[in-house]
Amino acid sequence: MPIDRRKTAVFAGALTLRLLLLVLFPSLPDLLTGRVEVSTPVNSFKRLQEGLFLYTRNVSPYDGGVFHQAPLLLPIFALLPNAKDLPLPTAVFYSLIDLINANALITISESGQAIAGRFFSALRKDIKWDGVSVAAWFLFNPFTIATCLGRSTGVFTTTGILYALSNAVTGNSFNAMLSLGFASYLSIYPALLFIPLVLLCRDRRAQGAKQPAGIAVFALQHFALFSFSIAGLLGMSYLIVGDFSQFISATYGFQLLVPDLTPNVGLWWYFFIEMFDSFREFFLGVFWLHLAAYVGGLTVRIRRQPLFVITALLGIFAIFKPYPSISDASLYFSLLPLYRHLFPLMRYTFFAVSAILYATLLGPAFYHLWIYAGSGNANFFYAITLVWSLGLSILLSDTIFAVLRDEWEQDNPEMRGKEARQV
Amino acid sequence: MATPAALPPLPFNPSRVRSYLLRLPLFTRLVLLAIVVFWLLELQTVWSVVQWGSLTPDEIGFGSMYRLNTYPFIHMGFFHAIMNLVALTPLIERFEAEHGTLTAVALFIGPLSTFPAGLYLLVEKFLLHRNTAVVGASVWVFLLLGSEAIRTFKSHPYFSLGTYKIPTWTSPLFACIVVSILVPNTSFLGHMCAILVGYLLGLGYLKVFVPPEKILRWIEGKLNLLGRLPHYVSVDQKTYGRYGVLPTSNTMGDRSTPMSYLGTSQPTIRNLRKNPHFLFVHLPHILSFLCILAGVVWLLLLPLNDYSRRTYISENALLPGQVHAYFSGSEQHIFRGYKKELEGLLPEGIHGEGSERNDVELTPEISDKIQSILRASGLKVATQNYEYTPAGISHRGQNAYAIIQAPRGDATEAIVIVTAWKTADGELNLNGVTLALTLARYFKRWSLWSKDIIFLFTPDSKSGTQAWIDAYHDMQPSSVQPLPLKSGALQGGLVVEYPFDHRFESLHIVYDGVNGQLPNLDLINTAVAIAGGQMGIGANLQEMWDHDDSYEARLQTILRGMVKQGFGYATGAHSSFMPYHIDAITLQTKGDGWQDEMALGRTVESLCRSLNNLLEHLHQSFFFYLLMQTNRFVSIGTYLPSAMLIAGNFTIMAIALWLRTGYYMGSQTHTSAPQDKKEKQPTSQAQSTPADTKPVPKIVERNLALPLSFVIGLHLLGLIPLFIFNNLSYKYLTPATHTFIIADIILPLSLATLLTKAFTPTPQQHLLIKSFSLLLLGLFLSTLATLNFSLSFMIGLLCAPLAFINRIPRTTSAPIRYALSFLGLGVLNLLSPPVVLLGGCWYTGVSVETVLAQAAFGWDVWGMWTQVVVWCVWWPAWVIGCALVGFSLF
Repeated sequence: MPIDRRKTAVFAGALTLRLLLLVLFPSLPDLLTGRVEVSTPVNSFKRLQEGLFLYTRNVSPYDGGVFHQAPLLLPIFALLPNAKDLPLPTAVFYSLIDLINANALITISESGQAIAGRFFSALRKDIKWDGVSVAAWFLFNPFTIATCLGRSTGVFTTTGILYALSNAVTGNSFNAMLSLGFASYLSIYPALLFIPLVLLCRDRRAQGAKQPAGIAVFALQHFALFSFSIAGLLGMSYLIVGDFSQFISATYGFQLLVPDLTPNVGLWWYFFIEMFDSFREFFLGVFWLHLAAYVGGLTVRIRRQPLFVITALLGIFAIFKPYPSISDASLYFSLLPLYRHLFPLMRYTFFAVSAILYATLLGPAFYHLWIYAGSGNANFFYAITLVWSLGLSILLSDTIFAVLRDEWEQDNPEMRGKEARQV
Repeated sequence: MATPAALPPLPFNPSRVRSYLLRLPLFTRLVLLAIVVFWLLELQTVWSVVQWGSLTPDEIGFGSMYRLNTYPFIHMGFFHAIMNLVALTPLIERFEAEHGTLTAVALFIGPLSTFPAGLYLLVEKFLLHRNTAVVGASVWVFLLLGSEAIRTFKSHPYFSLGTYKIPTWTSPLFACIVVSILVPNTSFLGHMCAILVGYLLGLGYLKVFVPPEKILRWIEGKLNLLGRLPHYVSVDQKTYGRYGVLPTSNTMGDRSTPMSYLGTSQPTIRNLRKNPHFLFVHLPHILSFLCILAGVVWLLLLPLNDYSRRTYISENALLPGQVHAYFSGSEQHIFRGYKKELEGLLPEGIHGEGSERNDVELTPEISDKIQSILRASGLKVATQNYEYTPAGISHRGQNAYAIIQAPRGDATEAIVIVTAWKTADGELNLNGVTLALTLARYFKRWSLWSKDIIFLFTPDSKSGTQAWIDAYHDMQPSSVQPLPLKSGALQGGLVVEYPFDHRFESLHIVYDGVNGQLPNLDLINTAVAIAGGQMGIGANLQEMWDHDDSYEARLQTILRGMVKQGFGYATGAHSSFMPYHIDAITLQTKGDGWQDEMALGRTVESLCRSLNNLLEHLHQSFFFYLLMQTNRFVSIGTYLPSAMLIAGNFTIMAIALWLRTGYYMGSQTHTSAPQDKKEKQPTSQAQSTPADTKPVPKIVERNLALPLSFVIGLHLLGLIPLFIFNNLSYKYLTPATHTFIIADIILPLSLATLLTKAFTPTPQQHLLIKSFSLLLLGLFLSTLATLNFSLSFMIGLLCAPLAFINRIPRTTSAPIRYALSFLGLGVLNLLSPPVVLLGGCWYTGVSVETVLAQAAFGWDVWGMWTQVVVWCVWWPAWVIGCALVGFSLF
């Protein structure tokens, strides 16, 4: 098998950079692990270690109400030496996960599904980045590096989602469903990607030699697969944990009902702090409904490009999810370079990137003023999370605009490159 | 598809306003002029215009009937005048344009001012028996609003609000009510009278007062007013002539109001679009420059009374100066006794005043003596050894401290009183240490403390407190011992310095913390209130010994505070407390007066009593402020815009450059510099082609890789000087600075050469380099402004030229290009970080080595971040600026 030199260089560079940072700044991982932007209650490495401590001493990891992550992580991490004494193996493990994710991205990029699919073919095909560039973009993104060094367990969800995508675009819909099941098992929200992913699988299958089954049958088959994979994982968890109801309420209940209002980069915590308890259930419903509502709309409107629907949904999750962190944003950013051909159609990239940069700098500053200096208050930080979400929203709506514009130009070839006004 | 044509229109169009103002008719102008003249007349204090001309019911007699006509011209102040001017201008202009100048004169001098006045007098004097004087043109505003409302009522009788129908004639009444609610000191009655007369006018009952048209024509004809007076509106001309509208029957309510000037397709915008060179090249420069100017002017305005506030105690629990301080009398003997004991331990021959006294270190014997005195007073005593070696200079010593356990508390909170053996200026603080010992014995006997009181004795003011406070929070480095004895959360710190033997005159309060953090303003206010109010000792800030409350003195105080805050170094032993969110100040005795150590002791006692009262951490008052005097300050909301404007100028420029690279580069060949001689070909071309036939500007792909990596690489490169200057031994600091100045001259040029030879960057990439660099600079500076306003402001000003320099285009002839770029490089090199450092040192007379060694000490010990900002924000931006000028050489 020929070795791709560039790919090796990028991967080696990314691995070296991560380890170099660890060696040069030994306190960096702990600093990042403590940052609210990196660690949320559902993916914090500190909480994982707490769960691990209980687990290795044969106590239920969910006792004490600190640990809220999936139990299958525990046996994996129990194999690794204690990160407090020996940080290197954990760091290497996380770096490898990043490399695996990058590998999936290369597969997605090289399949060309982002540029041409069953129903569409982008107009500006010549403008694109190859897989290694996309992987480099992911691996050298500061948000990805921070997530990796912060050892957020969100990277496993990222792996699940990226492998679901890479399997789907290569036509392996069986593995795609298993991967999505894994991601949904770790943190519920990827289950919302099921519909566009099935469409992606079906489109991919239809491009092949033999015609797939009818849409209903196809969806049902895959839904069965998906449920099977989740059921299998839950069954394994049951073997590990024992008390099933405690496990469900501590993990999925915790993610659905959002009881922990520690600040994060999202929009939920401040709302629910301010809200009277009697309205809590209602607004929980509204917020979740809001999050889920995008699935249908986007899938129908951009039916021709299910991969883009998934990308856009990931962007939406990074904004509106209950416990978002920068790892969600980094996943979204990692998929954006697949749509390099749309960049010329985007209008507000500079403003969106500026807003995100401002939020990235001002967020920690205001958090410092609030928590450490005591001279600011929660509104400072919340205002910045709003700016962060605003920046992401601008970017998201701009990419969606670009896709729509691209499709419109395909439908109206005579209008290509001309000015059009939306009314 | 973004093209210049897709830019959003400006919501407000200055040129329309200008032409509107230029076309105002004659009488309107006169009225406006009269109002302004009367306002200017009020500025003198000899003759009260308001008293002379206001409509005061009791003053009206036959001799003072003129008041019925003068009151609309007179206003109570600037804002009153300007508001009324703005409201009146469109209304009266419309009236005059419709009815002609002569009619307007006749009506406004006559019935329209006397009638409302008469009505007002009747009601106010005879019905209400009051005597409220009224002035102002608002009477005409409401009168005209009333008449307009009647006219509207005739065409549109009702507003529909849901199912309700509100008659339109009521709208001035609503306006009147809203105004009297929102604006203080408005005469509701006066406005009502005006509206009533306005209704009468609108209904046509006042027509009898209008001079007959025949007479008006006759006058006009005889005097040839139309020819003689500019802006005169004739009786015939009226509305129609001037606006070129054919006279039809329904012109009455048809004329667009001045407000509809805010349309969408204004000619100015169109002109701007036709002239992208102005829009993309000149306008950002103008805006940036205005931002910088506004930022500086804003700062200069702060000392004025209108922008600053008096200080006040916000935390009610403090109750400053509400208790009697008992520290006096026999305690003075104890003070003298302790002092004798300590003096006995000083080396021989330096008992008097003198500079050699200042060389006396805190020897172990003295430390033992201090500890034994504290033990004898019944306190728990402990010691802590520490050592720091920044820049190759060793700072070692032993802290001694003692704790009075609160008789009424549970050891969860504590107050610290610090006396350093050496003051912040390096003088021997013998009196201060003795005073603290005396106070420790005295406080121990009181039963009212609800917080522990810790007495800390450090060998110096720079490192001792830092070692202690770090160890108190278990954050100490390995060279610092942990504390064997601890108390609760520290609520406040007081540092006492009394470095001479004679009596003192005033207290100098030092408050700046590390990295520009400040203690809660309440603490300073309390200290000022106790020193000044209770003890009768004057207080000073920022070494302003004779503060005369003038503008200059205030500004100087602010600037001194800003310089200290900007450098971010520790100004005293109190500074080390600030990073741990413990509010602390230093009290220094200054001058030669009649206050003795007992007065200082009483001040400390009273301050401790106030802090003892606290129920929670100081949080009520401000943490971000600029003090301009002991009792005046500006808060962050008022001063922050000044630094933000300066940071914003870079962002504006960055956005403009980005837009330029995308939209404007394509239509032109050479655009890279806003220098002279580029108006000729491209702009005229752009102007000559009409907007719609212009070819659609093609999307210009931006080549981001080179600019991005260049800018980011340089920012990372800043880590190297940061590392070098923080870790070099003090002996090499001065040569290193000189070397660095030379490196700074060479580096941008060699970078420019390298890039030009290796990559041949396009003009677009030059612009992008500048755009990214300025974007990052603006980003960092605005973030910094929220943490350390002064540093952000200073660096912003020093970087200001970077927004305006560019690569000089190749089209410029070679000699001029070389001359200009060498000139630019020379100027920029004068503003490079090391040169500015040398200049600053030369100006203040401090040696470079001291400053840099202090900086390295600050980095190591205090956790000072100023260097990071200098090397990773300022320096990269500066190098990129220089490199851009350097590119023009090739």
